[in-house]
Formats: sequence, structure tokens, C-alpha cells
Amino acid sequence: MTPLAVSLTCLLSFSGLACLCLSMDRHGRTLFQGRPSRQRDMAFRVAGWLAIALAFSAAIVTADWNFGPVQWLGSLTGAALVVVALMSYRPAWIRPAAIAALPLAMATAFFV
Amino acid sequence: MKQGFRQSMAWLHTWAGLVTGWVMFAVFVTGTATYYKTDISLWMRPELRAEAEYDVVRAAELGVAHLKVHAPKAMAWFIGMPQADNPLIGAYWMDTPDGEIGKALLDPATGAPTVARATKGGDFFYRFHYELQMPPAVGRWIVGLCAMTLLIALISGIVTHRRIFADFFTFRRSKSAQRGWLDAHNVTGVLALPFHLMITYTGIVSLSLMYMPWGMVSVYKGDELRFYAESGQMTTWRAAEGKPAEPAPLGPLIRRAQAEVSEPLEMVSINNPGDANATVVAVFEEPHGLAHRHPQIAFNAVTGEIVERTGPLKPAAHAYTSFVGLHEAHFAGPALRILFFLSGLMGCIAIASGLVLWTVARAPKGMVRPAFGWRLVHALNIGTILGLPVGMASFFLANRLIPVDLAARDSWEGAIFFGSWLAAALIPLARPHRQAWREMAYAAALLFLAVPLVGWATTGWRTDFLGFDAAMAALALVFVLGARKVGRYEGPRREAARATGDLARA
Repeated sequence: MTPLAVSLTCLLSFSGLACLCLSMDRHGRTLFQGRPSRQRDMAFRVAGWLAIALAFSAAIVTADWNFGPVQWLGSLTGAALVVVALMSYRPAWIRPAAIAALPLAMATAFFV
Repeated sequence: MKQGFRQSMAWLHTWAGLVTGWVMFAVFVTGTATYYKTDISLWMRPELRAEAEYDVVRAAELGVAHLKVHAPKAMAWFIGMPQADNPLIGAYWMDTPDGEIGKALLDPATGAPTVARATKGGDFFYRFHYELQMPPAVGRWIVGLCAMTLLIALISGIVTHRRIFADFFTFRRSKSAQRGWLDAHNVTGVLALPFHLMITYTGIVSLSLMYMPWGMVSVYKGDELRFYAESGQMTTWRAAEGKPAEPAPLGPLIRRAQAEVSEPLEMVSINNPGDANATVVAVFEEPHGLAHRHPQIAFNAVTGEIVERTGPLKPAAHAYTSFVGLHEAHFAGPALRILFFLSGLMGCIAIASGLVLWTVARAPKGMVRPAFGWRLVHALNIGTILGLPVGMASFFLANRLIPVDLAARDSWEGAIFFGSWLAAALIPLARPHRQAWREMAYAAALLFLAVPLVGWATTGWRTDFLGFDAAMAALALVFVLGARKVGRYEGPRREAARATGDLARA
């Protein structure tokens, strides 16, 4: 349970939750021009849940079944807080941040 | 009046939250601080420098030498090993099973009482978070009843919150005051909900044997120690024989115990010291796992043979110790600890925003004089939400400013904590309520900012205190932002109410 493993779970959780946030009508509308499209929402939703599932497996792999769930839930809380903060103070940053978190997560995974 | 299920749950959430909110806010704040208990303790004893490793055999012998002189008649001695995050030998003794536990902190190099200033350190907040500085039985019952009610508030809150997923990421800070507080309450409550449920539930569970002792009482009939031994949590208590005998040297026993357990030695206890049937128990740190469990090996103190080892925990004890382990999070490394701390802070904010929301939603419009109940809640809100931080910052300042050689110095620190908290709760009563919030928030910010500055001025700058200093500065910043927000936010709304002469009640 090194800080790197926790960061990996946090990054993936952040990416996932940011996607879920963008898939929601209310938040998506403030960020995208034009009409919300069902297809785009669906893509974000699938990507979001995938990243969250990936975060879960990363937590289990790095911290095993007794600490893994704790690490995963904690990461989701921390990541969600960042999403909310960005959403209300710097909404334009959400999409780039969610995308940037993925290569960062991959780089982190390399060192874990 | 006919009410739907959700409305009655909303009623339950409001009132269960309101009556326990102040106590639970204090419990959450001090409990959250406890995640960094050792850092707080180190900062509060600036005379000490931690070393990487300690000779535990020597530490145990120094502890025994001290206790032989100062507590020769005790029924048990406990010698806590010095560690990097707590660089002192703790020598404790117990004269009767229910009596006070005596305590002396010794220098690990010399065995003499430490030169570090007398302070309770981070233990002060730790004890406060479940005993409220009251007699233990009273404090624990109050905290327990409030925690049980908070659990009701949590569950009824989930039922009440009909847009839990739709509003998952919603924080509308630019709408009305009530909307902003409601969103803050929802976001901090929902995002850290697993933590809130876990910490409230496991908190109650850790004291469950006190709240519901009947099972244990009826089976063990006053011999509670046997319960802990049989469930695998500690070794059996062996009664004294009444004849004195010379004990075997401690060193070889400790080394033999260390050969069996890979964890660091945490404590050595000697039951019935000096007796022919004395026992030496080596207690080790928790193995890396969820369960709050300390492996123990017991020796006959005279012959030196191993008489007992704690085995694997029984299932119920394993569940229980895992709950306690989850609550304390000893297993959490630095990164996970930040997440626990963050979740704890969100709990504090959820409770505080819930309390504020109660007054905001019922705020009298325009020039109507608020009712007594509203003023009471308002006064208690500001007295708790800002009074407690003022008290905590003053506690840290007192640690540096009270003379080191003052008698009962650690009690003075506690007195200043409560004194400044009380002052911070009473002063706002004399002020118009919005100014009161703003002024007290600035006061808290100033005090927190003063903590690292006074620390540098009195005991010098130290890199290992950087985290503590940064945390104090961050808290000061939070209170400045809060104060500015109150200043900006409430002004226009009140003017608007005045301008329209709107005297109607919401």
C-alpha cells in the first residue's frame, strides 16, 4: 500500500467520475456546445464505469482484498471531491484533467 | 396531518441531526485530528528528537528499574517501548483492577523522567473524541448515544435525499445561501458516505461491550479478563501466589519472544511483579491487517518458560477487532491516511453545514426578531463550529507559551483549551450574528496562523514540523476564506430583504 498504489487508484477514480459527471445532462450542458447527444452521454458513461472498475481492480491488485476495498472507496471519495471542486470553480478543466489522468495513471502503474 | 414516508424521514433527519450535531461535530473534529496524533504529540514535545531504532531490552529494563522504585506494590506494570513516532519509554502501573493507571514518561537514553514539557499531546484530542474530558463512563455514554442517533440521521438522510445520484456532483455556490449550504451538506455527506457510515458504526462497536455488556456479564460473571483471553485478544491473567520470588532476567525473555514474532515489540507487561507467580507478557504491534490485534507471548517471570501465546482470533473477536482496526486505521500509510483525514474533514463539514442549514432555512426575514429557539441554535452553532477550532489553536499556542516548569502544566493546557472555547462561544452573543461569524472566523484564522509563528519563535524552525506548520497555515487560510465568504455572501441578501421590506416568514 505505497503512496503510488493509492495515487494510481485515485487517478483512475478521478478519470471515471469525471466521465460520469460529463455524461450527466446538467453538467454536460455547461461544457459542450450544442444539444446533448445520447450517444456521447452513453460513451462517457461506459468509459466512466470502466475506469471505476479499473480503479477497483488496481486497488485489489496492489492492496489485496482486505485493504483494497478501503483504498478504492477512499479514492472515490477523494476523487469525487476534486470533480465537484473543478465543476464549480473551473468547469473547463474537467475534460483535459480527466484525459490527462489516464497517461499519468499508466505511468504510475509502471512504477507500482 | 398525513405525511409520506419521505417527509417523516426528513423530519427525523433534521431533528436527529440537530440534537446530536454539536457533540458529533466536536467528536468528528477531534477524531479527525487523531489521525495525526503522533505528529501532534511530536510537535508538542519539541525537546525530543526521534531516533531510528531503540534497544527494546534496555528500554524494558530501564522501565522496570523506575517502576521498582516508584510502584513496588502495583499489581501490574506496563512498559511501552520508545518508537520513532513516540520517542519515550512509557512506564505505567495499576494498583487495583479499577483504579487509576499511574504514568511516567522516561528518557530512553538514561531512564530518568523525561525533560520534555508535561503535555498530553495528541492524546488530549484522542481521549476527548470519545470521553469529552468527562468522567469516562459519562463521556462515553454521551458520545455513544449521540453516535447512535447520528447513525439514525445518516440513514434517514439517505432516504430523504431523493436526488442522490442526480445531484452527485452538484454544488451550486452562486445561488441562494440556502441552496449553497444544502449542496455543501449533500456533497460532503454523499461523497464520503462510506466513511461516515463506517466511522459512526465502528465507533459505536468499539465501545459496544460498555453499551451492551449483558452477554459478557452473564457468561463471565465479573471475570472479564477471561473473556478477552478466551476470544484470543490477550493472554490469561494469572493470579498472584502471595510469596515473593526473584524474577529471571528480562533480556533473554524478550529476545526469545522477538524470535517468534516478526512485528516490532510494542509493550512489555509484568503482572504481579515480584511474586512467585509473576508473568511477563511481550505485546507486539499489529501485524499488517485490518484487525486491531496485538500478538502476545506470556512467560513465567521466575522460571522464564513460555506459558501462553495468543492464538488466532475467534471469528466474533476477529470481526470485532477488524471494526476497531477500520476505525483507527493504524494500517493506513501516508497516502491512505490523507484520504481518511479528508473523509473525516468532510464529515465535519457535513455536520457543520447541516447545523447552519437549520438556521438558514428558518432565518427570520427582514427586521423580525428571531425566536428564542433559533437564537439558541445559532449561538450553539457558532460556539461549536468556530469555538472548537479557536480552542484547538489556543491549545497549541498554550503548549509553547506556558512556562515549561509550571506545576500541573498539562492541566493548564487543557484549561486554556476549554477557556478559549468558552470565550469564543460567549463573545459572539454580544454581536450581530453575521458579524459574529465573520469576526470569529478571522479570530480562528489568526490563532492558527500564530501557531507555527510562535512555534518558530520559541523552539526554532524544524523540518520535521513542516507538515504540522503547513496544516496550521492551511487551516488559517480556510478560516480566512470562510470569513470573506460570510462577508460577501450575506450582505446583498440582507439589503435585498430590507429594500423590498419583505417581512413575510418563509
